[in-house]
Amino acid sequence: MKETITIALSKGRLFDDALLLLKKAGIKIAESNLNSRKLVVPDTQKRFQFFMVKPIDVPTYVEYGVADVGIAGRDVLAESSADIHQPLDLHIGYCRMVVAAPKAAARQDYKELSAVRIATKYPRITTEYFTHRGIPVEIIPLSGSVELAPQLGLSDRIVDLVSSGRTLAENGLEIVEPIMDISARLVVNRASYQIKRQAITGLIEMLSQVVEKE
Amino acid sequence: MKTLTQIPLGTQLLFGKAAKKRRRIERAIFSVFERWDYDEIIPPIFDYYDVFAKGMGAAFEDTLYRFIDREGNILALRPEFTSLVAKSVATRLADHPKPLRLCYCGEVLRYEAPRGGRQREFFQIGVEHIGGEHIKSDAEIILVAIESLKKLGIRRFQINLGEMGYFSGIVERMNLSRDDLSKIKTLVDLKDTVGLRLELERLALSEKRRNILLSLVHLTGNSDTLQAARQLVSNEKSLQALDHLEALLVELKKQKVEDHITIDLSEVRGQDYYTGTIFKIYVPGLGFEIGGGGRYDNLFKNFGCDFPSVGFSFSLERLMAIGE
Repeated sequence: MKETITIALSKGRLFDDALLLLKKAGIKIAESNLNSRKLVVPDTQKRFQFFMVKPIDVPTYVEYGVADVGIAGRDVLAESSADIHQPLDLHIGYCRMVVAAPKAAARQDYKELSAVRIATKYPRITTEYFTHRGIPVEIIPLSGSVELAPQLGLSDRIVDLVSSGRTLAENGLEIVEPIMDISARLVVNRASYQIKRQAITGLIEMLSQVVEKE
Repeated sequence: MKTLTQIPLGTQLLFGKAAKKRRRIERAIFSVFERWDYDEIIPPIFDYYDVFAKGMGAAFEDTLYRFIDREGNILALRPEFTSLVAKSVATRLADHPKPLRLCYCGEVLRYEAPRGGRQREFFQIGVEHIGGEHIKSDAEIILVAIESLKKLGIRRFQINLGEMGYFSGIVERMNLSRDDLSKIKTLVDLKDTVGLRLELERLALSEKRRNILLSLVHLTGNSDTLQAARQLVSNEKSLQALDHLEALLVELKKQKVEDHITIDLSEVRGQDYYTGTIFKIYVPGLGFEIGGGGRYDNLFKNFGCDFPSVGFSFSLERLMAIGE
């Protein structure tokens, strides 16, 4: 009995790049399935089952083992701190997580601000980043459109992802400092790694060969 | 008042069928333990904080439920049995003939985020084989675990077997601080090669040493893995660890259980007291391990004696979750 591997894919900015990567590794999903509203689709050779989930949920599906494997950005992984294996960097979805502030205030030192208000989708990462540096912060957790917060007076700064920098610039913000480089990782459930070892190490090998060629 | 109707996070109530099932599993496993001549030990549910903190290591300190007694001593609710059994044996049963075979079942409490199958209060059922012959006792407790699973009707399971000595031999010579060692251990365990590479660069280790640790992550598979593992190192400790592992596999082959065993030298997660054989047990369909254990040769030294020992435990909650 051949076991299928279940894979949680992020719908969102990683989706297209992930599909391309899988295609190069010989794993294809039928167009009709991609265009449908189905949330569970197989690949053309029926070796895998793909789950279409929100990026922030990939680590959860993998941690609980309902998905053996997942593709998620390092931002999502670091924020969730899920207890899962991270055996491969897929080198897609490159961007950076940075602290950004309105142009006027960007040069201000933290020592001059008694407490800094930071709006972010990543409260855990942000809290750790600042407390690690001894800087008292008040975190404003938001789930989107974080660039809006400083101009509306909701926060002094933001912690957010940036790739080209256009969105920041268009909202009057500039980068104060980088926090981490982001790329997408392959993640694997601990039990699945052992129980379906051959199939999973095979998948890791196929993908790492494609990644290396890029 | 909310405290009278709400329940604290991470606790469970069992009654009816679930309670009956739980006791059935407990009795079945205990019957296997008894067959192998393990005697029950029932230690207290709390002890001084240091008993647990010292043995288990920094990673577990934050999970301890601490409280202060009227004299100002810091106590803790037991997060596990092994360190408590070790102390009990060291103080009350040190002169008992060895090997000493003990088993236990009871609540353990850990202040962890109740996610990923974790509860704050859960039940461990397990054994400690104290002061026995190295390879024979390692093999014995693995066989006890296997027989327990078969007694429960669980035929498909996998034991992921590693050896802490292999990893220790490699990192010992790197003179890492406790925190740095802990970080590397976590990264190796998560098989996070990217994170590991960055951390090793930050620690400015030589390329040779970096390569050894990065290769360690891939040392998983079957007995062929041991060949590759041998070629990677030259230090005494790591090579001895591989000898132990090979000898253990020979014993397990004799009992015809090798199909359930996989080798994984990056299996390094767990309490600080593990010094040798270390393993986790998985079943298909459950995303988390159902139990695990290993050899802990130095734990008794904390309590004034010297009994190399080995043990394992199952989580009753996870056993209950199988086949649901």
